[in-house]
This record gives sequence, structure tokens and C-alpha cells, in this order.
Amino acid sequence: MMPTGAKIVRFVGWLFVGAYLGAATLPLSWLVMTSVKSKEDSISLRPKLIPITGTGPDRESSGRALAFHPTVAGYASLGDPDTATGRSFFHYLGNSIVIGLISTVATVFIGTGCAYGFSRYSIPGSKDWLFFILSTRFLPPLAIVVPVLMMYREFDLQNTHLGLILLYTSFNLSLAVWLMKGFIDEIPLAYEEAALVDGYTRMHAFASIILPRAAPGMAVTAVFCLISAWNEYGFAMTLNNQGAVTVPVYFAGLQGNVHGLPWPQIAAGALIFVGPIILFTVLVRRHLLRGVTFGTIKQ
Amino acid sequence: MATPVIRSGYGFVAPALILLIAMNIFPLLYSIYLSFTNAELTGGALADVGGRNYDIVFRASKFADALRTTAAFVASAVGIELILGFALALALHRRLWGKPVILTLLLVPMMLPQAVMGLYWKLLLNGNYGIVNQIFGTLHLGQPQWTTDPQLKFFSILVIDVWMWTPFMMLIGLASLNAIPTYIYEAAAIDRASRWRVFRRITLPMCLPLLGLAVLLRATDALKQFDLVMSVTGPNDAATQTLSALLFQVVFRDGRVGVGAAYSYVVLVVVIALASIFIRHLNASSGKR
Repeated sequence: MMPTGAKIVRFVGWLFVGAYLGAATLPLSWLVMTSVKSKEDSISLRPKLIPITGTGPDRESSGRALAFHPTVAGYASLGDPDTATGRSFFHYLGNSIVIGLISTVATVFIGTGCAYGFSRYSIPGSKDWLFFILSTRFLPPLAIVVPVLMMYREFDLQNTHLGLILLYTSFNLSLAVWLMKGFIDEIPLAYEEAALVDGYTRMHAFASIILPRAAPGMAVTAVFCLISAWNEYGFAMTLNNQGAVTVPVYFAGLQGNVHGLPWPQIAAGALIFVGPIILFTVLVRRHLLRGVTFGTIKQ
Repeated sequence: MATPVIRSGYGFVAPALILLIAMNIFPLLYSIYLSFTNAELTGGALADVGGRNYDIVFRASKFADALRTTAAFVASAVGIELILGFALALALHRRLWGKPVILTLLLVPMMLPQAVMGLYWKLLLNGNYGIVNQIFGTLHLGQPQWTTDPQLKFFSILVIDVWMWTPFMMLIGLASLNAIPTYIYEAAAIDRASRWRVFRRITLPMCLPLLGLAVLLRATDALKQFDLVMSVTGPNDAATQTLSALLFQVVFRDGRVGVGAAYSYVVLVVVIALASIFIRHLNASSGKR
């Protein structure tokens, strides 16, 4: 039998979680609804809450004031080229995909190699090196954006895919090295020792013994690097505002729109943009803790 | 065998270290140099100006204001997120129907792009047609102008940050609760300790180290707050100008690269101070493992 005090605490807990969940999911459900509204309905002074289909006789009656007709116009207009730039949302999405994917692959491979080196060799000062690597994560992007901008001007890397790829790769390395070191440390030494005794070279042992066993960890690491590159705004906005513009910069740039913001189109684009992130979050949810604490908490 | 082993060990770690030195350390050193010059965004020959830029930074009232705004933002954001997140963790730390789904739903905001979400929240918070004010209207709570009223802008950005980052605190809070062995609670039950006493004497102290880690991680992150400020109010709004926004304004709107470099160095000192606490904390906890 449960004491009443515990019941009350439990009830209050439920109430709190329910209220928070309701409030926290409202923005995302509203985003979904906005994406299928017409532009007028999206900024209607009375909230349009109920999607209705068909054209019943009472569609304009007062009882249906909260209703709206879902439309895919928001999604369809994503393909329309912008009058000023001549480019559509998908152009920017392409830039985000190219920059995100290439930097992620580069980060995971360089980071895994580095983690393997620190995990399996006794490198002098390895602890200091590892903390140096971690400390780069704490650099505020804006502390180095000024010199990077000057460097990139010198090497013509401004407004290029390569410029952001290099930056994102270096910025995510700290995370990749720390996460991968955790994963590789968990692989028993015995496998490699057996392979080395059998005459494998170090590289061969790394490729055929470690890589397959580290693959799940690499996948998790890749997801975190991809999300971080995908969402990045500060560097992208200051370094790439003319060419190789990514989606966050494109969206932020819509602010000055004289005809009012095209909310259904923004909502549709935002959903397409965050869809993969939500999917990946669900896939790696058991490793989220590890990811956000640089592998220091393993569960 | 010893020498080739060490050499190949360097082969594995060198690419990462070289990239980090080229992309992070070199820019930092280069920016020391820039901070003593009259560099402008538009280019032109560089001339040495001595400590003038640092003089400008410390005399500018905007810098003190931005420092205050940032400190207020970090303290309130991290504080609210910690309390809400840990409360959620406490409420969710039990067997619950549909718990994985609830947790996933709660965690999603943390992974979303801040710049895009900041823009989208302007629709939610719009004074005339935003859903928040429509709910407020129904409840007769008035129509606050969330993103234009100077008194409320800061609060609005705070709300978005809390929405995005409370899940982070909840995640670490749950981990800290899971790490407490159940036999301690069993022992407390035998001693007939009250719930409050169990919470004060067992739960809270045993969760503190991990919550401390969470606070440090979140604080170093909140200190850089830029994306939400840019998308909600723009960089040059007196009510919301954080250090990052001020730096952006100085370099990219005023074009004063040299002054900006000096600003970034002053900011860096603050961040390094915070980060070194975190790293010492990590060092201590990794020594224990």
C-alpha cells in the first residue's frame, strides 16, 4: 500500500510533466500546422486550429471560424526561385547537405584515427593533448571568426563549400576524438594482439579489427557532428553570405522581407530541414547523454 | 619495435592535431596581432596602433552593458533550465507507460537549429497573430508585445533558450538519478527517513557532481549566445546585445576588425576561466574512473 504523501507527490509529478510536455510540444505541432496553411490563415487574427477538408455548405459559418483548409502551397512554393537571387530553398538545402556530409565524414575519420592513436599508443603528454583538443570546443566561434575571415580572404575560401567544411571539421574534431576514444577504449586489446601475432600490420589490424567494431560508435559520432554542422549559424552567416549559403543563413536572411514573412513556406522548409535531425535524434537517443557530455558519462 | 610503434602512433594523431592548430590556434595568434592594429573590414594597409583598441573596449559603455546582459542571460537561463530540467528528471525517474516516447518528445528541441527556431518563434510570439497572444487573449491576460517591447525582448529570448535547453538538464539529471544505487534508498526506508530528508540527504548530494558538470557545459554554451539574439532582435538591440552580438556589430556592421579582435580576446579570457573550471572538474572525475 502506498502512503498518501507518495501519491500526492506522484500526482504533482504527473501534472508537471503533462503541463511541460504540452507547452514544449506546442511549438512543433504548430509548426506542422502552419506548414499546411495558406499565407492568410497562418497570420489570421483568430487562431486557425482545425483542419477541414472538402467544401461543405457550412464552411463559412461562424461555427467553423477556427477551421482552415489544409494546402500544400507552402511546400510547393519552396521550389520557386527567389526574385532577388534566382535561387530556391532547395539550392540552400543542397549546400547544407554537401557541407554537412563532407565535413562529417572527414571529422569521423580523422577523429577516429586520432582516438585510436591516443587509445592504443603511449604518446608523451597524451593527457595534455586530449585536453587541448577538448578546450578547442570551448572557443567561442566569434573569438576566431575575425582572424579566420582574414585568412579566408587571403586563400579565397570565403563563400566556398570548402571553407565551411574545413571549419566544421576542425570544430567537431574535439567531440569526435573524445567520443571515439570512449568507444575504442571499450574494444578489448586481445583482438588486435591476436592479429598482430598473426602477422597483421598495425594499419591492417586497425582497418580489419578496430574499424568494424568501432562502426556503431562512428555512426553515433557522425550523427552528432552532422547535427552540429547542419545547425551552425555564426560562421556560416559571417563567412558565407554570398556563395555556398546554408539553410539557417537563408532563413535568417528572409527577415527583411517587405511583403511579410511567407510563414507557411518557412514552416514547410523548416520541417524539411529539421526532419532528418529528429529522425537521427530518435535513432541515437540511447547515446544522447554520451554525445552531449563528450563521452564523459557512459550509459 | 619501440620506435616504429611510436612513429605510427603519431601518424594516427597528427592529422587531427595539425587541423586544430591550423584552424584554431593559428587564428588565435593571428588575432592577437590584429588586435594591435587598425585593421578594417574593407581592407587596406595595417598599421600598429599599440593598446588603443583595448582602451576603446574597456572605455566603451556598450561593452559593460553587453557583459551585464550576457551575465544576466547565462545566470537566468542556466538557473531556470537546471530547476525545470531536474524537476522533470525527478518526475520521470520511475517506471512510466510510454516513457521512451515522452523522453524523445522532450529531447527533440535540444537538437534543433537555434537560428531557424528563433525566426519561427517570432511567429508564435507575434503581438497580433501569434498563437501565444491568442491563448493569452482567451485567458484575458493582455497582449504583451513579446519581441518589440524593450522590457520583454530579453525575456522572450530567454523563453526560447529555456524551451531548447531544459531537455539537456533533464537528460543529465536523469543520468545522475540512475547512478544512485537503490540499496541506499532501501537503507533509508528501513531508517524510516522522511521523503524530504531522503531528497535533501541522499538524492540531491549524490546528483550534485553531474549537475555541476551540466551547469558548466550549459554556461559555456549560453555565454556564446548569438543565434537567438540575431534572429529575434538583431545584433544591435540595447535590451538583448550579448557579447557575441556586440562583437558581430563591431566587426561586421562597423567594420572595425582591430577593435573586434581586442573584444574577442577579452571575451576569450572569460570563457577560458569558465572552461578551465570544467576541465579541472573533468580531470578530477576521469581520475576517479
